[in-house]
Amino acid sequence: MTVLASAWMAGTNVLHAQETNEPAPAARPASEVEQLKRQLREMQETFARQQAGQQQQIEALTKKLDAVAQQQTAEAATSPPPASVTPEQFKKLDEKVDDVVAAQKKTLTSEFNPAIGVVGETIFSQQSKGSPPNGTGYPGGFDVFQRSVELNATASVDPFAKGWVVINGSADAATGETSLDVEEAALQTTSLPGNLTLTAGQFFGEFGRLAYIHDHELPFVNRPMVLDQYIGGESKTVGAQVNWLFPTEHYINLTTGFGTQFGDEPDAAGSYRSFGAVNYFGRLSTYFDLSDNWQLEAGVSGLFNPDSGNINGALQPDGVTTLTETKRQLLGGDLRLSYVPLRDNQFNSLTWGNEVLYSDNHYLASNTGGGSSFHDAVGAWGMYSYLTYKWSRTWSGGFLFEYLQNDQDSAGQTYGYSPYLTWAISHWNQLRLQYTHTQPDAATGNKPNDAVYLQWIWIIGSHSHGWQQR
Amino acid sequence: MKIKLLLTVFLAVVLGTAQVNAAKIRVVTTLTDLADFARNVGGDHVEVRSLATGVEDTHGVPMKPSFVPLLNRADLVVLVGFDCEHAFLPALLEASRNPRIQYDHPGYVDCSKGIAPVEVPKSTDHSEGDVHPYGNPHYMLDPVLAKTAVTNICAALVATAPEYEADFVKNRDAYIAKLDGKITEWKADLAPLKGVKFVSYHEHWPYFAARFGMVYFGTIELKPGIDPTPRHIENLISSMKEEHVPIVVREPQFPEKVPMLIARQTGARLVTLPIMPGGVPHIKTYIEMMDYIVHTLADTAAK
Repeated sequence: MTVLASAWMAGTNVLHAQETNEPAPAARPASEVEQLKRQLREMQETFARQQAGQQQQIEALTKKLDAVAQQQTAEAATSPPPASVTPEQFKKLDEKVDDVVAAQKKTLTSEFNPAIGVVGETIFSQQSKGSPPNGTGYPGGFDVFQRSVELNATASVDPFAKGWVVINGSADAATGETSLDVEEAALQTTSLPGNLTLTAGQFFGEFGRLAYIHDHELPFVNRPMVLDQYIGGESKTVGAQVNWLFPTEHYINLTTGFGTQFGDEPDAAGSYRSFGAVNYFGRLSTYFDLSDNWQLEAGVSGLFNPDSGNINGALQPDGVTTLTETKRQLLGGDLRLSYVPLRDNQFNSLTWGNEVLYSDNHYLASNTGGGSSFHDAVGAWGMYSYLTYKWSRTWSGGFLFEYLQNDQDSAGQTYGYSPYLTWAISHWNQLRLQYTHTQPDAATGNKPNDAVYLQWIWIIGSHSHGWQQR
Repeated sequence: MKIKLLLTVFLAVVLGTAQVNAAKIRVVTTLTDLADFARNVGGDHVEVRSLATGVEDTHGVPMKPSFVPLLNRADLVVLVGFDCEHAFLPALLEASRNPRIQYDHPGYVDCSKGIAPVEVPKSTDHSEGDVHPYGNPHYMLDPVLAKTAVTNICAALVATAPEYEADFVKNRDAYIAKLDGKITEWKADLAPLKGVKFVSYHEHWPYFAARFGMVYFGTIELKPGIDPTPRHIENLISSMKEEHVPIVVREPQFPEKVPMLIARQTGARLVTLPIMPGGVPHIKTYIEMMDYIVHTLADTAAK
C-alpha cells in the first residue's frame, strides 16, 4: 500500500513538473533535491498517520457495533416471555372450534329431518309362451315392467326408538296397474335393557334369510319360488316382534313375533279374531368365523297359524276340488357360506346361500260338484341354492337353483335354473342380466318357461344397508 | 328337575362368560391405529380389540356378526369419525344393543373431535361419488393430527375410569413425546420430497401431503368409491406426464393392475403404502407404519 502511494505521489510530481514546464530533476541543484526528498517524506508520514487514524476509527466502530448487538441480545434474553395460554383459555378455544365443526355438521345434514331415499327398479323381460311357475299366466313376449318405486324414510323418534316408513309404488305383474302401498311403517326400540329390541307396526318379519329382504336387494332378479309360494313373497307382517341378542361371546340371535298378516295372507283390517288365528313366527340364528376370510351363518325359522281362517281357497288342477287353508305351518333352515377376503372384499367375494322350507299346511277340501268336504294335510318342501362370485368392484355373476313342491299338492314339482350377471356401475346404479328356465312337471298344470330379464336398479338420496341386509 | 338343572347350567355359562375380564375397560376400535393408541394410553387398565385387522379398506370393514358380541360388551367404541366408518359401524352399533356406545353417548369416542377437516364438500351429491359430508376422514396419516386422536382417547378413558387418570395422562404424555420425536425425524427424512407430486388410488393422503410439504396431484379412482374409467386413466397419465409426477401410491387393499399401468406409462415409481398398522406384513404399530411410509417414500425419491 505504501509502495503504491509513493509511486502515485512520484508520478503526480512528474506530471506536475511537465505541466509547469519546470526543468528535469537531473538539471536541478542538490539543495532542491534535498527539499523534494523532505517533502516526499513528510507526505509519506502524513499518509501513514491518516491511515492509522482511519484504522482506529474502523476498530472503534466495530467495537461499538458488537456492543450494541450484545446489548440487544441481553435485552431479548431478559425481557419477559409472551403471555402463556392457560388451560382455561385453551379449553375455551377448543370448545369454540368444536362449536364451529358441530355447526358445520348440522348445516350439512339437517339433523331433525329423516334420511330419505328412493329406489327404482325397472325390469325388461322376454318370456316364452309358457306359464310362470305360480300359474298366474303371462302371455309371453316382451315387456317392460316398473316393478317398484320405493320411498324410504327413517329417523330417530326420540332417545328410545327409531321409526321408518317404506312406501312402494308398484305395478301389478299381470295387469300393469299401478298401486301405492305402505310396505313398512314401524317403530323399533333402541334402548331396551337385556339386549332386547321390540319392533311394532307393519314390517318384514324375521323368517329365513331372504324373506325379509326387499326385492331390489336380492342377489338375483326374482324372489325364489319357494318363498313366493310358501310365504307369499316378502315376509310382510302387521304385528310385533322381539329380538334378543344372547349375552354370550358367541353370536346367537333369537327373534319371536306375531302378526295378523304374514306374507301374502291378507289381513282383514278391523276384523277381530282369537289369538288362535294369529301368525306366530320366529328365527334362531348364529354365526361362525371359519377363518379371517371365511364366514358361516346358519338359522332355523318357524311360522305357525293354528287357525288361518279358511283363506286362500284355490281350485285344484282337477277342476272340481277347492282347497282352503285352515292351519298354516312352515319350518325353514338356512345356511350361508361366504368367502369375504379382508384385504379386497370390495373387489372379490364368494357367497353360497341355501334355504330349505317345509310346509305342512292343513286344508279343507271341498268338491265344487257338491260332494262332501274333508280335511287334508299337505306336507311339501322346497329350496333354493345360489352361488355368487364377485371378481371386481363392479362385476359379479352366479347361478340360482330352485326346487319346489306345490304346497297344496306335493306331487306337483317345479325346478328352476337361473344364471345371472350383475354390473354394479356404482353402489347406487346396477344392471343385472338373468336367464331363467322353469321346468314344472305335468302335475302342476303349468308349462316350462324361458325368460330373459334385464333389471335396472337405481337409488337416489340416503341409502344405507342395515344389519339385516349385510 | 332336568329342565331346571339345564336352565341353571345355561344361565351360569351365559352370565359367567359375560363377567369375564370385567375388571378391565373394554375398548373396541374400528381401525388398528386407534387400537394402538388405546393400548399405549390405557396400558394395563384396558382390553383393546380392533374390528379391522389392518389389511381392510378403512371404509369397507366386513360386518361380521362376531363383532356384535364384542360391541355388546364394550365400554368404549373408538372411531375415526368424519363418517369414515359409515358403511359398517352404524349397523353394527344398532345390532350391538349396547346403549353405552351409541352416538352421542359417553362411550362413543369420535377421535375427529377438535380436528378441522379438509375437502369438505359443498354439496352431498352422489355425482361426486361416495362423498364424505364432513370432509376427508383420513387425518390419521398426519401424525400431528394423530396426537389429537390420542388426546381424545385419553379423555374418554379418564371419563370412564377417573381413578386411573394419572396413569392415562402419564402414558399419553409419554406417547406424544415419543411421537413428537418421530415427527421431527420424519420431517427431516421427507425434506427432500418437499414439492414432489404424487397420485394415489383413493383420497387417503391430503393431510399427509400438507404436513410434509408434498403435492397431492390426484387419485386413480374417478371419484371416491368409483372405479376409474378408461378416459380418466388416460387424462391422469397425460397430466402426470405434463407435470412430471414421479410417484404413484397404491394402498394395499386396491388392485395393482391400474396403478402399475399408470406408473409404467408415466415413468413414475409405484410404491405400496399402508393406511393403517397391519396393512403390510410386520408393521404392527402406528409409529412403525409411519416409519415404513416415510422411509419408503424417502428411498423412492433417493433412487
